[in-house]
Amino acid sequence: MAIRVNPTFIDELDRFGAEDVQLCYQCGDCSTVCPHADDVYKFPRKSMRSLQMGLEQKIETSLEPWLCYYCGQCSTQCPREADPGETMMSLRRWLISRYDFTGIARKFFKSRRTEVMTIFTVALLTGVFLIYYGFSGGSLSIYDGEGAFLPSQFIHKFDLTIGSILLIFLLANAFHMWYLIMVKGTSFYVPWWSYIKQFYQLPWHFFTQKRYSECEKKQEHPFFMPWFIHLGLMLGYVTMLVLVMVFIEQLQSGPDIRWSVHIFGYLATIGLVTGTVYFIRNRLKKNYVQYKKSHGTDWVFVVLLSIIVLTGIIQHIFHRTGLNELANITYVIHLMSVVPWLLRMPFSKWAHLIYRPLAMYFAEIRRDALARQEKMIQSVPVLIK
Amino acid sequence: MRTGVFFCQTEDNSSLNIDAIAKYAANLPEVETVQILRLKPLPGINFICEQIKSNNLERIVLAGDIPGYYKPVFTKAVALTDGNTDEIRLASFQEHGTKGENAMDRAKAIVACATMGIPFPLAAVPGGNPVNHATLIIGGGIAGIQSALEIANAGKQVYLVEQTGTIGGHMAMFDKTFPTLDCAACILTPKMVTVGQHEMIRLLTRSNVVAVTGKPGSYRVKIRQKARFVDIKSCVACNQCTEVCPVKVKSEFDAGISLRKAIYIPFPQAVPNAYLVDETSCVNILSGGEKCGACVKKCPKECINLNETDKIIDIEVGNIILATGYEFLDVSKIEQYGYGIFPNVLTSIEFERLTNASGTTGGRIVTKSRVINKKTGKEEFIFSPEGMPPKSVALIHCVGSRNKKYNPYCSRVCCMYSLKFAHLIKEKVPNVNVYEFYIDMRAFGKGYEEFAERIKQEGTFVVRGHSASVAMRNEQMVVRGEDIFNDRLVEFYVDMVVLAVGLVPSRGTEEISRILGVQRDSDGWFSELDYNGSPTDTDKGGIYVAGMCQAPKDIPDTVAQASAVAAGVLGSFTSGKGIGHMSSLSLSEIESRAKKIHAI
Amino acid sequence: MCGTNIAKIVDVEAVAKYVSGIPDVVLAKTYKYMCSNPGQEMIIQDIRENHLNRVVVAACSPNMHERTFRNALRSAGLNQYLFEMANIREQCSWVHKDPEEATEKAKALVYAAISRVAFHEELESMSVNMCPNVLVIGGGITGMTAALELADAGNSVHLIEKDNHLGGNLARIDLTAPYLYSARDLLTEKITRIMNHKQIHVYFESRLTDLTGFIGNFKAKIQSLNGKPGKINKPVEVDIGNVIVCTGFKEFDASRIVHYGYGKLPNVITSFELEKMIRAGRIETKEGKIPKYVAIIHCVGSRSQEFHTYCSRVCCMTALKYAHEIKSANPECYISDIYIDMHAFGKGHEDFYRRSSEAKTLFLMYEKEDRPVIHKASLKDDCEMLIEVNEKLSGELIEIPADLVILMVGMEAREDSHEIARIVNISQDKHGWFIESHPKLEPVATTTDGIFIAGTCVAPKDIPDSVAQARAAAARVLARISKGKIEVDALFSEVMEDRCSGCRFCNQLCPYSAIEFDEVNKHSHIISALCKGCGVCVAACPSAAIRGRHFTDQQVLAQVDGLFEV
Repeated sequence: MAIRVNPTFIDELDRFGAEDVQLCYQCGDCSTVCPHADDVYKFPRKSMRSLQMGLEQKIETSLEPWLCYYCGQCSTQCPREADPGETMMSLRRWLISRYDFTGIARKFFKSRRTEVMTIFTVALLTGVFLIYYGFSGGSLSIYDGEGAFLPSQFIHKFDLTIGSILLIFLLANAFHMWYLIMVKGTSFYVPWWSYIKQFYQLPWHFFTQKRYSECEKKQEHPFFMPWFIHLGLMLGYVTMLVLVMVFIEQLQSGPDIRWSVHIFGYLATIGLVTGTVYFIRNRLKKNYVQYKKSHGTDWVFVVLLSIIVLTGIIQHIFHRTGLNELANITYVIHLMSVVPWLLRMPFSKWAHLIYRPLAMYFAEIRRDALARQEKMIQSVPVLIK
Repeated sequence: MRTGVFFCQTEDNSSLNIDAIAKYAANLPEVETVQILRLKPLPGINFICEQIKSNNLERIVLAGDIPGYYKPVFTKAVALTDGNTDEIRLASFQEHGTKGENAMDRAKAIVACATMGIPFPLAAVPGGNPVNHATLIIGGGIAGIQSALEIANAGKQVYLVEQTGTIGGHMAMFDKTFPTLDCAACILTPKMVTVGQHEMIRLLTRSNVVAVTGKPGSYRVKIRQKARFVDIKSCVACNQCTEVCPVKVKSEFDAGISLRKAIYIPFPQAVPNAYLVDETSCVNILSGGEKCGACVKKCPKECINLNETDKIIDIEVGNIILATGYEFLDVSKIEQYGYGIFPNVLTSIEFERLTNASGTTGGRIVTKSRVINKKTGKEEFIFSPEGMPPKSVALIHCVGSRNKKYNPYCSRVCCMYSLKFAHLIKEKVPNVNVYEFYIDMRAFGKGYEEFAERIKQEGTFVVRGHSASVAMRNEQMVVRGEDIFNDRLVEFYVDMVVLAVGLVPSRGTEEISRILGVQRDSDGWFSELDYNGSPTDTDKGGIYVAGMCQAPKDIPDTVAQASAVAAGVLGSFTSGKGIGHMSSLSLSEIESRAKKIHAI
Repeated sequence: MCGTNIAKIVDVEAVAKYVSGIPDVVLAKTYKYMCSNPGQEMIIQDIRENHLNRVVVAACSPNMHERTFRNALRSAGLNQYLFEMANIREQCSWVHKDPEEATEKAKALVYAAISRVAFHEELESMSVNMCPNVLVIGGGITGMTAALELADAGNSVHLIEKDNHLGGNLARIDLTAPYLYSARDLLTEKITRIMNHKQIHVYFESRLTDLTGFIGNFKAKIQSLNGKPGKINKPVEVDIGNVIVCTGFKEFDASRIVHYGYGKLPNVITSFELEKMIRAGRIETKEGKIPKYVAIIHCVGSRSQEFHTYCSRVCCMTALKYAHEIKSANPECYISDIYIDMHAFGKGHEDFYRRSSEAKTLFLMYEKEDRPVIHKASLKDDCEMLIEVNEKLSGELIEIPADLVILMVGMEAREDSHEIARIVNISQDKHGWFIESHPKLEPVATTTDGIFIAGTCVAPKDIPDSVAQARAAAARVLARISKGKIEVDALFSEVMEDRCSGCRFCNQLCPYSAIEFDEVNKHSHIISALCKGCGVCVAACPSAAIRGRHFTDQQVLAQVDGLFEV
């Protein structure tokens, strides 16, 4: 059965950032220079082709976009300056919106305005709610413990609720992703045990991001170390998340400091700060191919993040220096930015935190299954009449 | 006729001030409205219909560099308003060349003609004046040779100026020519000999045009002829001087894959068939006459004079033909192919010399062999007839061509000559694997498609997919490519890589265009007067372009052009026609002529 | 001895010594470079001093230097045909390793030459007049260019056009690729100039019915055929010196490819039909609505074993042109361009290709022999037709929505081309294109002297190349005319009429149709101007009545004997 070509698809992807894909004349240079392309997962050329022809089916069930870490070699190499790297990036954006069943991500990616507006409204609502709660229960001058403006127990509950909402969405999307890739997109039989056999991939790629480091091998620029910094950012981020979700009491605890917890907090902060600064700087300077074009959502991402980090640090300082009023106010602002941030996560680029490792996981499973299938085909005796 | 002029100029043209032209157009008779549409995309169909209705226009003139892009939408608008779609005229600045002097006047004239509905070339016919029957041809390649013969055979004087020591150009370096695979030398050398012996052709080798003055029909040309240091008349090419010469340098004719002496003959069939001294490498000349001088002592005919000096030759000609040809893009700036790093990565012309029977290996296709240089003690890689034949060869098309970073244009011949290489390798090297990486197989000419098919039949592995990386892996070259048709990434271990290098205008092109005032296009090739109508004329009267220097071409097209040029020249002798600067025409002249034609 | 070329293998002195011993040999000399000016000077002197009446030079191939030495003879006041060259380079020193044997062979070769030259006769090359009038067949862009070039140079031109207007196929085109210049302006200029030109006589609705004579002196019968068959008025007869054939091409009949459904499906049209639409400013389906999806199919009838193996060379650029034009007229419509290889080879072509990519044209590649198939779409589809094709770059079997399908029909030779070929006596290849005398170095000349071919009747090509060829042909003619007379080489065959039995074998055999039959005294006669001295007739004549000058049996046999004398 023939697949229907959809010439209009390319216009839609334009909104996701693939502005030059129509220029590609399919020479295949990009695939030859890509450090990740191999015999099973061939990209970027093939992905670009599917995009040009608008084969949505193929794209939504494809893993390739997640296997690309945007080292930008394809884009520097491309004879027609069709920017394959950016195309892969925009395919990831599109996939995120595809996995998300609510359709919110799609709106965010397509119009920056809606995104910003939603973020503001959520932030305001949180602010109103917190302030109301704060004045109803305690006083602005007390930071923690009895009669505190925002007591840590309350924050803990608050965090957990937000966290669980986030988790629900995230898991739902992840499930959708699994369905698309492993069920809808896999024509051959996948044995259950290879899920178990390959499971280690998940944490391995989550914590090391090994493939990203492979990108750097060919980078000529000596100080270009996005992998390391990105890793720092990511780990810092996760630690912070865990601290906030689990150890918030200790973290927020009054004057006596719990080094066991705080030391992690500080490390995480360092990771976050360096990461944020580094990426903002590059996006502003457009100094490498991958930062030439910044999609609206990228900016929202970094800006929001920096606000959170900043307010977090300031609030901490105020708290330590005993300026509780100020500490509380900044705390409110901090939370005002944290909440939309967390809620936005499943609908934004941020979600690649789990999509990528998942993709690696699925990729390996598929590879297994393929190999197995080929073995079977070979083992079938061929009858010669 | 109520006319509306629309300027469809989306990106600004440096040499033209659109507003001024618009102002001029507004004052032309019968012009109702003038609109400048700078926006991209252009205003929609409704706006145009609006314009047509409100001014009830009967004729529409589209002006701009390439207004043709916007014609269909205007045609549609006219059709919707039930107008006459034939009354849409194009005033294309690029078509009629507004790069030279008085560009503004030209542009205005173009618009004026369009508003009257007269083709510009019809109105802009330069007046003729008496023509000198001698002709100057710059460049002694096949194009130059062909037009020289065409004109000389008509019994007219020809001066053939060639930069190097011999005529023949690139074609003399080739082994076989596609698609018929007949040997290039066999069809070229007879022509060369004829040129050398022709009583109507004066051959000036090692010469450059340094200045041109005068007006079309009678140009005064100053030519600098570099000293040859060997007397052409008395030299009998006995080769004794070369034997004693101590200097060894890379041979230009062999594309640098073999060495020649400082006193040498480019190749045995060279015309004129005499030796010459390379002043840049001769010890004696460089040392100001102190050292060496062995050849002078050795020469039995005493025809070597190392103190000879450059000559300045002044000639008077009526027409000048540019046949300056091309050269190859410098591949070393495209790193990923490792040219200059890996010994066995060759450019197409190097391979051409390697496989040529008169080449350094006598036509054997071999890989370079490692030798230790006596003087420096360093190891070098050179071609020797005893070298190992390659077990597998990769041919990569479009190296630097069709590439935004190097040559945006297609070099037109690479596909075919790469196929030819594939055939030659298959023919000469037993059970060799040949891999060919291409993007589009451009086999367009007479018998080309059949040739391409034949090569595929011969078992060359043709890969649709362009390779962008040649790497060294444990002492073997690896070419990585995407075999798109078979949907897989391939890595071939090869002993030799041949790069189909793109073509660029030859070094002198810019200088000559400056001396003669002939325009060049954005890629550096000479621009013709009119792409369709007169592909071999230029803006300057009595100056023509032939062959590669106008744009890449294969031999048949080059020869056709070279002959075509002769038509212009010979025609000009009997009638002063076409002799006269297109660019020297004043606006008022063209206007008045146009008005006359318009009246009829 | 050609430097060391010959001397390094052949002992030249020995040969000379041996030769000087042969009867009638007055002197035998060796010289390093006979072909060099001093060498020739030496020959001339020897001829003068020793009153030589035959000269033999043992050197390289006659191709290289026969002309040189003949000139030497002439300047020494000796008939140039009293000369023979023994090729001891290509035929001896270059192909042999062993010096002794090589030397022996050299001796033999020289001896043979000497025995041959003894029988050489004094021949005089003759010359014929060149009539300055030119006949141009075909009033397309090629024909018009050629006609103008010639007429502007002051020669009278007879231009035959089978239609009632000039312009040919170009007149059916609106804009030209790749720069989208107006084809109409191009034509208007040429036509206006031709119609007002005193030197050009245009014969509308006419054809060439007969061409007799030979180079410089042709007689052409031109017959006008107006509409009604059978009613043909009296032919005009004109004297001409040269003929330029520019009969152009005709487009491939798309209905021959059944599964494209051309002629059955209403909205499958050919490129030329689209041109009409574009001109009229109405790019619409037959139902009169603006198409949302347009598909362009390349190589219709070209590049296939079934129809024509060759590439038609212009379709790719034309297709891109259409993509631009349709997009410009209806910006909201989507264009898919179904091609095999994108032949964007000429000046400005690649840039044009890029521009159409920028305009978001979807390029789809198919395998040469595995053509797309057009289906009617079902009602629920938002399009009218579906094109099923094996897309090579994605490796998928896909279907492309289309409301309007444009077939890029290739070029093929005109059906009446064989008739013209017969009349002017030129040959055609298996596709029906006229054959040039050398594909590279003589792209416009033919094997028949005085007949030239140009433009798309030789092979498909675009406008600039056609124009270039037209001018090339004109140049050849101009060169001939400006000389006034044309030299005919003395080496032609002649019939000894007393011996000729009038069997007419030779008449058919002659590749240059230089032999005519004298009905009155019943014997064949060779037109020396046309004869190239190939010798076919000489060999064929059963009664040995034909004699090839300078290649008489006597001479050749003497040479053969000579070889074995040593």
